[in-house]
Parts: sequence; structure tokens; C-alpha cells
Amino acid sequence: MFIKEKGYAHWDGELKKKKFPWMPITRYGIKLAFRKKSFRFFFYGALAPSGIFLIGIYVSERLEDFRSMIGETSRFVNINPAYFRNFLASDFLLFFLVILLLLCGAGLISDDLKYNSIQLYFSRPLKKREYFFGKVSVIVFFLFLVTLVPGLILFIMKLVFAGDLKFFASYPWLPLSIIGYSFLVTAFFSFYGLFLSSLSKNSRYVAVLIFGIYFFSHIIFQIFDGIFKNPYFSLLSIRANLQQMGAFFFNQKAPHAVSWIYSLLVLSGICVLAGFVLKKKIRGVEVVK
Amino acid sequence: MDHKKTVPYFLASLRNVFSFFFFLGRRTKRTKIFYLISFLPVVMAFIIKFSQIFSDSRDFTGIYIFSNMIIVFYIQFLILILALFFGTSVCSDEVEGKTLTYLTTRPVSKSAIILGKYGAYTLLTILMVWIGVILSFFILNVDKLLDFSLYRILLKDLAVLSLGLMCYTSFFTFIGTFLKKSILFGLVFGFGWESVIQYFPGATQRFAIAHYLKSLLPSPPRGRFSFLMFRLEPSSPGMAIFMLFLITAVFLGLACLLFYLKEYILED
Amino acid sequence: MKYVIETQKLSKWYGIVLGLSDVSLQIEPGITGILGPNGAGKSTFLKLVTGQIKPNIGTVTIMGQKVRNNYSLFSRIGFCPEQDSFYEEMTGWEFVTNLLKLYNFSHPEIEARAGEVLKIVELESDKDRIIKSYSRGMRQRLKFAQAIAHEPDIIILDEPLNGMDPLGRRKIIRLIKKYKTQGKTILASSHVLPEIEAMTNKIILIHQGMIFAQGDIQGIRDLIETHPHIVSIKCNNPVKLASEFIKKDYVLKVNFSSTPDVLLVETNNREEFFSFLPSFFVKYNIEVDEISSLDDNLQAVFDYLVGT
Repeated sequence: MFIKEKGYAHWDGELKKKKFPWMPITRYGIKLAFRKKSFRFFFYGALAPSGIFLIGIYVSERLEDFRSMIGETSRFVNINPAYFRNFLASDFLLFFLVILLLLCGAGLISDDLKYNSIQLYFSRPLKKREYFFGKVSVIVFFLFLVTLVPGLILFIMKLVFAGDLKFFASYPWLPLSIIGYSFLVTAFFSFYGLFLSSLSKNSRYVAVLIFGIYFFSHIIFQIFDGIFKNPYFSLLSIRANLQQMGAFFFNQKAPHAVSWIYSLLVLSGICVLAGFVLKKKIRGVEVVK
Repeated sequence: MDHKKTVPYFLASLRNVFSFFFFLGRRTKRTKIFYLISFLPVVMAFIIKFSQIFSDSRDFTGIYIFSNMIIVFYIQFLILILALFFGTSVCSDEVEGKTLTYLTTRPVSKSAIILGKYGAYTLLTILMVWIGVILSFFILNVDKLLDFSLYRILLKDLAVLSLGLMCYTSFFTFIGTFLKKSILFGLVFGFGWESVIQYFPGATQRFAIAHYLKSLLPSPPRGRFSFLMFRLEPSSPGMAIFMLFLITAVFLGLACLLFYLKEYILED
Repeated sequence: MKYVIETQKLSKWYGIVLGLSDVSLQIEPGITGILGPNGAGKSTFLKLVTGQIKPNIGTVTIMGQKVRNNYSLFSRIGFCPEQDSFYEEMTGWEFVTNLLKLYNFSHPEIEARAGEVLKIVELESDKDRIIKSYSRGMRQRLKFAQAIAHEPDIIILDEPLNGMDPLGRRKIIRLIKKYKTQGKTILASSHVLPEIEAMTNKIILIHQGMIFAQGDIQGIRDLIETHPHIVSIKCNNPVKLASEFIKKDYVLKVNFSSTPDVLLVETNNREEFFSFLPSFFVKYNIEVDEISSLDDNLQAVFDYLVGT
């Protein structure tokens, strides 16, 4: 009797490639977020502004019927690109996006770090970028549901309530603005959330950071602005930068007298930094042949 | 061995738990990051002073900027974030990290665990805040260091911030022992309730901890920051201090009681 | 004899999941092993005994005193939890000394005890490394160290040998046995029979939240020996092997699996079967690729015992 030599063997065959290998990660992330009662509460809360703005659009088409009720405030239901900017770049919606981000995004990578499961992911035929794509898609899914989807629905409803295409003819670029701004906000928050999630194994700590940095950056801006009255300090605030970009996308006057290009650079800079850190932090097991 | 002798008295247990977590707290990476964050006002103070000197601007005095920094940055942001994180950590860290067993199988009462850890974290956060505040004060008032009346303001601000940390941390300690998802509730309370309620008139604003803290600070002259004190109907300083101590004692008591009664399942 | 640990009708549910049901036990000084497959209720039982969780029904007493929230009792108890959790930023030395500070020991005594206990578990040279960098076995030994550092009378160990190498296991088992000679009470859980067997002959069998048997280990050993085992043999001549096995009275059944070179043999006397096996291989010049016992695990034994 002889004992056969046992040793490690490398698989030399061809693995069947899945078209979207990141999909299970996304599906699981979405399922996990929806399991949380608090998440569902804030998710529906984040949809509340779209309901209010939809009512505004309806009222705008029935102005005469509502004149007695709304009186002088009818200027608030003047539907134009500013109306859509006010919806998508409002303090309220951005605040809710941050809360949603900390609820669905804080644990995305930090939990994998905590339970050492990143190695498990990479023991599958999954590339680093596919892992990242799977995680980022969770955030993108939810943020699109509260920005892009209601934004486009509001636009379509305006056309439906009006019964003609005059509004579209006046602002043919508006759907692109909605899509563009929603993409920008979602891309920024996705990078921001995953970046902070990759910094710690403690998702409670990540949640505090997600909220704290967003809030803190605005406080610094307020303090400096209060003292120096220099609009360039708005570049320190995440919120102010997003709102500057909102003004650009919807062709409105910027809230701060600073070119939108600087805001874009700041936001892009944060995304680049996030990408760099994520690349360093998400490490799989290297198999040496 | 006489095991009875190895059971420490309550105060000794308290001191032991305190030193355990004061030691551990200083060691953790996240404490160091919070130390860095609490140094940001120092950087801000430096930038402000530097630019004032070079632009020869005298729009705002150093103490005016300092006082506003205390309200806008410290009271409305930093002490809330610190108390929220460290307060909820008192219990949640042990449960989430599954280290609770190491503490609850020692001859130490559960109240001593909560109070000792609370004390350690409160002192850590007070030190974090004090260092930043003192340095910012000296930088912003570098040209008036001989004006001793300013030091009274500094001492008062340090005391108010310490009271704030003591009070908020006790509240969040209670929340951490009570709720599993304490951070979200804490954020809603700290940045929702605490901000909104103080703008209401009459007795309503007395339901916010921030009301008592702001009652202890001088109302700034109307100007760019005055909206932050909008409609503040301050309580008397004596009442404010009493209420802050009372809130601290009540929530610490509740946290101890809950920690004693509640069963924490360390989940996988 | 005076019992050290007593439980009366102890029951625990986690929502609709039954953790432990109607457990009444008396545990004497010495080593008692708690044996059961994963999810049997061993950890729930030990958590109830150490007052970590509240029973829904029933009582636990240690030395006649209730356990939960009776913190003075813990000066006499050492507990090694199952979970692999630590204050990761501490070094091994800091971990043990800081936990010892929670007793009423003087500073020199703390240092002496910590030094001694880390020497016992052979972590002396690694004591200044942070726990985060420890291997699984080192972490397990450190957990054990914190449980014995204050010289408790009662040592409760939840899966103490998990993740340890054979040498480490032997060392810990020797230590546990030494504590027995000092009159201490040791309660150790495991799902591996030989581990418990190496420590004690007093065992409690736990399964599906219930105490299935309590007593001498020989009884369970006998049950296991008579439990029919299926052994799978992958070789180059399974037909020849089958024709030889079928003649033996300790072989109940011989089957060919769906894979052509694999033979499944069912025996009611494992010991005899395995003692003759090598001689067959040599005699008939059979090349063996693999031998495995399909149900050589505790779960299978329990299933057999409870008749499922």
C-alpha cells in the first residue's frame, strides 16, 4: 500500500463567468437594510418631500381652484427648474440622504472587516472592483429611489397634469439636469459612505463619522463665513458644495458667489481620496502560482 | 485563599472599573481620532487670528469669536458627538464586542461597571474638549493675555462644557443600555430634538439639555450669530446647574437599574 | 455530599427557540464534562449557571446562593466564555492585570498572579504583544488564563480547547486535572467526546436543550461502541474487500456506493473492525485512497440514542 502524495493543487480549468457577479452582494445589502425598522422609517420619510412637491405640481395646474387657500403663496408653486432644484438640493432631502446613508452604508464594509468576511468574498471568483460595485450598488439603489426616481416622476407628472408638452418645450434639458444632479449626489455619497465604512470595524463609529463630518463641515463654513464673510469658505461644507452644484445643474443663481467648478473639484477630490483609501483597505488574499 | 477578602467595596470597584476603562479608552484608535477632531477649533482659531493680524481686521474681538465658537462648535456639535459616541459605548461596546462577560463575572456590582465606565469616558471627553478650548482661547486672545476678566469667561465656558458632557453622556449611557440601535436615536435626539425644541417659547425649551447649558452662558449681543439664541428664555443659573445635575443623576440611575435588570444576549 | 452547583427545573427560551428545558442537576466538586453537539444548549446552560442570562423558569444556585446579580460570589468563580472576544487593543499582560484589578488584590499581588498565570499558559514571551496579533490558540489560552488568575474555587469553561493545537490541549487538560486534585469544581463543555474523556469520567449529556444522560463516561462509550457505524473505504478492489467483510460477524451490512470504487461497510463493533482492517489491506494487496467514518460524530450518536 502506498500513500498518495497530497498537496495543494491549483485549478487550471476555466470558471464559468457570471454576468453580474456583484449582484448577490447588492441583493443581500438591500435585503439587510430593509429588514431594519429604523431604515424603513427614514426611507419612507425621505420620500415625503416628493409627495409634497407632487402636490405642489398639482396645485400649480389648478391654481384658480386653490387661489382662496394659498393666496399670496402661489409663487411657491411656480413650476420651473428652480422648483426641481429646491426639491433635489434642499437641506431636508440632503439631511435624509445622510441618514439613509448611515443606516444602509455604515456597515457595508466595516461589518465585513469586523467578521473577516472580505477574504470569503475574494475566495470566490470575484474581483475587487466587483466587490466594490456590489457594495456601492446598495447605496446607489436607495439614493436613486429618493432622488432620481421621484425627480423624473415629478417631471412626468407635470406634463401629465398640464396635458401638453409646453413645459418640456420650455425646459428640454430639465430631465438631463435631474439625472445629472441625482448621479452626482449619489456618486458622492456612495464614495463618502464606503470610504468611512472602510475606516473602522465598528459600524456605530462609522455612523457617527458619516453624520459628524457632514454636519461638522457645515459648521466650520458657518463660523468662517460669519467672521470673514468670504463665500469661498462654502467650499469647506459638503452641503454647500452639493447645493452649489444643484444651482449649476438647474441653471440657477448659486447660493454662494463661488464658481461651481471649485465645488466640483472639492467633491471630486473627496471621491478620489475615497477611491484611493478603498483600494488600500479592501484587500483580498493573493494566490501565488 | 479567603475569597471574601477579594471582593472590593463599591467605591473601590468604581475606581477599579474607572481606571480599567480610562486606560483602555486612551489606547483606542477612535479616541485618538476624536482627539484630532477636537483639535480642529485650534486650527480654526489659528487661521482666524493669523488672518486678522495680517489683514489688520478688527471686526470681531478674540473673545467674541471664542464665545461663538463655544456655542456653535462645542455646544451644538462637538460635545453632542462625543457624548453620543462615548455614552452609548458604555454598554453597547461590551455587548457588540461580546466582552461583557469579562466584566459581569467579576466581583463587581453592575452599577459600579456602568458608573466607573461612564466616569472614565466622561473624563476622557472632558480632557479632549478642554485641551482644544484652552488652546483656542489663548490663540484668539493672544493680544489680551493680561486681561484677567477674560479668564473668568474661559473658566465658565470650561465648566459649562464639562457639565454638558456630564449630562449628555449620562443620557446617552442610558440610551445605550436601553436600545440596540442607540446611535440613530441619539442623532435624532441630539441634532433634531435638542436643536428644534430650544426655539420654542415658554416652558417647552426646558425639555432640552441645551437650554440649561445656554442659560449658563452670556447672551451674545445681537448680530450675526444671535439667531442661535433665538427666543431663549433662560433659566436662572442656579436652576440650570441643579437641572443638569438632576438629569445626570436620573439617567445614570436609570442606566444602572436597566443594566441590573436587563439580559444582554451576546449574538453571533 | 454537598453539591456545589444546583439547578432546579431550569428552562430558557430565546423567543420561540428553546435553549434549555427543565434541567435539574446537582454538580459535585471535581471535573464535570458537559457533552453535546453544537446547538445542544451547553452554552445556554453555562450562561445560566454564571448568571449571564435569566432563566424563564427554574433556579440556579452556587454554594447555596443565587447567582444572577450576586457579584460577591464571583470572587470564587472563574469563567472562560466560548466567544473569541477581547479588548483587542490591550496586550495580553494588560488584559490579565486589568481584569485582576477588579478584585481586591494589591498591585504587587496582581503582577505576581498575572506573571504566574501567563507562564502557566505559556504566553510569557508574548505578553507584551497586543491581543489583536495573537493566534487563535494564544487567544484561547489567554481566555483560560483570565479565568484562573484569581484562583477561583469553581472554574467554568465553555469549549476551552477550541482552536488549540494538540500540545496546548494536553497542557490545559493536565492543568484542569491538577485543579481537581486541589478540591476545585470544574465544569467544562465540549462537543468532542475524546476531549471530555481526557479530562473526566463524569459527564452530562445534553441534547436539544435537555439533559439526556448524566453519569459515568463508560456508559456513553459503550453506547457509542454498540452504535452501528458506517465506514466508507475508497480502494482499487472493493469487491474483494466486500467478499471478505461479509463473512465477519461484526459486519452488519456491505454496500457499494454510487461511485464504483467506494465500499460502505456497516459495523456494530468499531474496535474490532478497525483492528482487522489493515491486515485485509496487506493480505489482499489493496491500495487505499481514503477511509472515512460517515457518522463518527456526536450528532450521529445522539441521533442514534434518541432514536431519530
